Amino acid sequence: MISRRNFLTTIAVGTVSAAVMAGCGQPAAKTGTAENPVTINYTWWGNDDRAERTRKAIALFESKNPDIKVNGNFTDFAGYWQKRATEAAGGGLPDVMQWDLSYLRDYGQRNQLLDLSTVKIDTSNFDKSLLPSGQIRGKTYGIPTSTNAFAVYYDPAKLASLGIVEPDGTWTYKEFNAFMTEVGTKSNGALYGGGDYTSVWWMFNIWLRQNNIEAFTEDGKLGFTKDDLKKWWNLTADLRGTPAIIPEERVAQLTPKSPFGANAAATEVTWDNFMAGYLKDSGAKELKLVPVPSDDPANLGLFLKPSMLMVASAKTQYKDAAARFIDFMVNDPEVGQIFKTSRGVPASKTQRDGTTFEGTDKSVVDYEKSIEKYLKDAPEPPIVGFGTLEASFKRISSELNYGKVSIDGAVDAWFKEAEDLIKQNA
Amino acid sequence: MTQSPTLSRRSTSSTTPLPRKPRQRGADTRAGYTFLLPWLLGFIALTVGPMISSLYLSFTNYNLFEPPKWIGLDNYTTLFQDERFLQSVGVTLSYVVFGTPLKLAAALAIAMLLNSKRRGQGFYRSAFYAPSLIGASVSIAIVWKAIFGDSGPVDQGLSFFGINLGGWVGNPDMTMPMMILLTVWQFGAPMVIFLAGLKQIPGELYEAASMDGAGPVRKFFNITWPMLSPVIFFNLLMETIHAFQIFASAYIISNGEGGPADSTLFYTLYLYLRGFSDFRMGYASAMAWLLVIVVGIITLIFFRTSKSWVHYSGDSK
Repeated sequence: MISRRNFLTTIAVGTVSAAVMAGCGQPAAKTGTAENPVTINYTWWGNDDRAERTRKAIALFESKNPDIKVNGNFTDFAGYWQKRATEAAGGGLPDVMQWDLSYLRDYGQRNQLLDLSTVKIDTSNFDKSLLPSGQIRGKTYGIPTSTNAFAVYYDPAKLASLGIVEPDGTWTYKEFNAFMTEVGTKSNGALYGGGDYTSVWWMFNIWLRQNNIEAFTEDGKLGFTKDDLKKWWNLTADLRGTPAIIPEERVAQLTPKSPFGANAAATEVTWDNFMAGYLKDSGAKELKLVPVPSDDPANLGLFLKPSMLMVASAKTQYKDAAARFIDFMVNDPEVGQIFKTSRGVPASKTQRDGTTFEGTDKSVVDYEKSIEKYLKDAPEPPIVGFGTLEASFKRISSELNYGKVSIDGAVDAWFKEAEDLIKQNA
Repeated sequence: MTQSPTLSRRSTSSTTPLPRKPRQRGADTRAGYTFLLPWLLGFIALTVGPMISSLYLSFTNYNLFEPPKWIGLDNYTTLFQDERFLQSVGVTLSYVVFGTPLKLAAALAIAMLLNSKRRGQGFYRSAFYAPSLIGASVSIAIVWKAIFGDSGPVDQGLSFFGINLGGWVGNPDMTMPMMILLTVWQFGAPMVIFLAGLKQIPGELYEAASMDGAGPVRKFFNITWPMLSPVIFFNLLMETIHAFQIFASAYIISNGEGGPADSTLFYTLYLYLRGFSDFRMGYASAMAWLLVIVVGIITLIFFRTSKSWVHYSGDSK
């Protein structure tokens, strides 16, 4: 009979040798063949609609590249970044990932992402002003798939029923405020004028650019002062607590829907590629886009931002396969045809020209064409920890709307958090 | 969390077997540890190991990507200048101080109702226990959010009586009462323990008290309360520790942000946000250790003060 000690030893030896053999079994080849394809992992965030479109694009890629298999995986946006953080800590980021500008520095500057200028990806069809937003210190970490721009949304049918003239998009902040007040008053509070636009970080960023101020300096510090932020939050000081602006209590209840998507507000200031989502949420027949307000009609402070980027892990074993997949996703006209504007307006000219836009997709493309003459260079990738700063901007603005804090107090609170964060990541 | 291993270890040592022949004892010990091995390995690898590394990380600046940088006690000292940290402490304390006693009172009251001999008691016991089976789940937090929303049943019910508070979910002053109601509603687990304790009280005591003309209030304070005090103490301790660790329901109701206006920013939720949204793992680890220490001190205080009001059978008092 086998003794207990022998039995345990046998198991231990067996386990160890199995582990060793598994280690040896790692494929040495970095490129695949049609008979023996390599598999790369690709991950993205989004809803079921995007998942379906992405699967179609992956199937198309695999049929054109029989030597590569793509293993796709997706989650929602919030969970996405928590997952990436733990993967990066364990050194196991997927080979190719969909990425957001807010997190490009966090991972790029910390050597988690592949410098894409070292692999073969065709960027000759991209607008030269767009590419720098995927670059940090001379290295290319992300290739934009598509662009989006800031806009004011409104529902023409709702305005008509209140007897309000549609805006033409040339307005000052005062006029925009007056417009929101008119909606709130004429509807007797049944429809609010809009959300508090001063709680939106990117709108603040645009306002700074209208005043020729950059939000961040090149060495990663704040480019604006407490006075700037104070002026900004004072813009809607008279509107808070009136029917012009939806009360924060209501906003909290409507989350995750936006007040505009939930038909509680007449306008919303945000990215133009949210069109499809708002149409679905609100059930409206048609939604229109006009430029954001500006006190300087020649300077709208608008820019095209990559709505998302494609990046690769610095540790990927299949650089060549990853590069070919990224190239395909950003340049192939058939991919454009699959996604339309659900990722934003395609950034590469070949992809844009190869896509037919109809209906709502067309209105987004048309909007970006209409503001072309006002566009400036996209801002640099935001500083490390930008995601946190953006969230605290929103949170402190909401405390302002609850009346829990004064404007001076809010400015101090935000600056304290921002300075603490910048010091932390220095 | 950290409590269960220490408790169980203490209980094994208190039941030390009677002295036997040395050789036999050695064999038993070996067998004992062999059977313990799966649990012991898991405990060391999955609990003790991470705890020690988090203790180390709490003295560092660690962002998950770069190797941790030693910064000494900085994390602990900055904690107390962080307004959101202080907010999270305030929120958690008010939850513990109001939620736990209310929950225990509800549990005890219902346990006493269910203790009497009535037809269909088995059904009632299950029915009252049910909420705590599902109460901690994600789906209930979502349902709760709908119940307390604008024009939800609670809002409409109160409006009927002329109280117009609007939805509780979006009102920073009403979210805490809502969270406390959610925990009180999950009284099932302490109730079952109370019920078991009540069954241990000899009926003769009540009979004798009735003979002497004692009313129900007198009986409660002079018989039920002292006889039940060890069980009350146990429940109080467990529920307090449990309340400090509230996370899931707050996460769901506030969309993981602790809002509105940080009114549901519970300690563990802020810890989580610091660690996994802001990538400040050192800071989060310091918060975790501070929680362990504070809960430990509170437990100690409970044990010290328990001597004056908890009566164990066989005590001379």
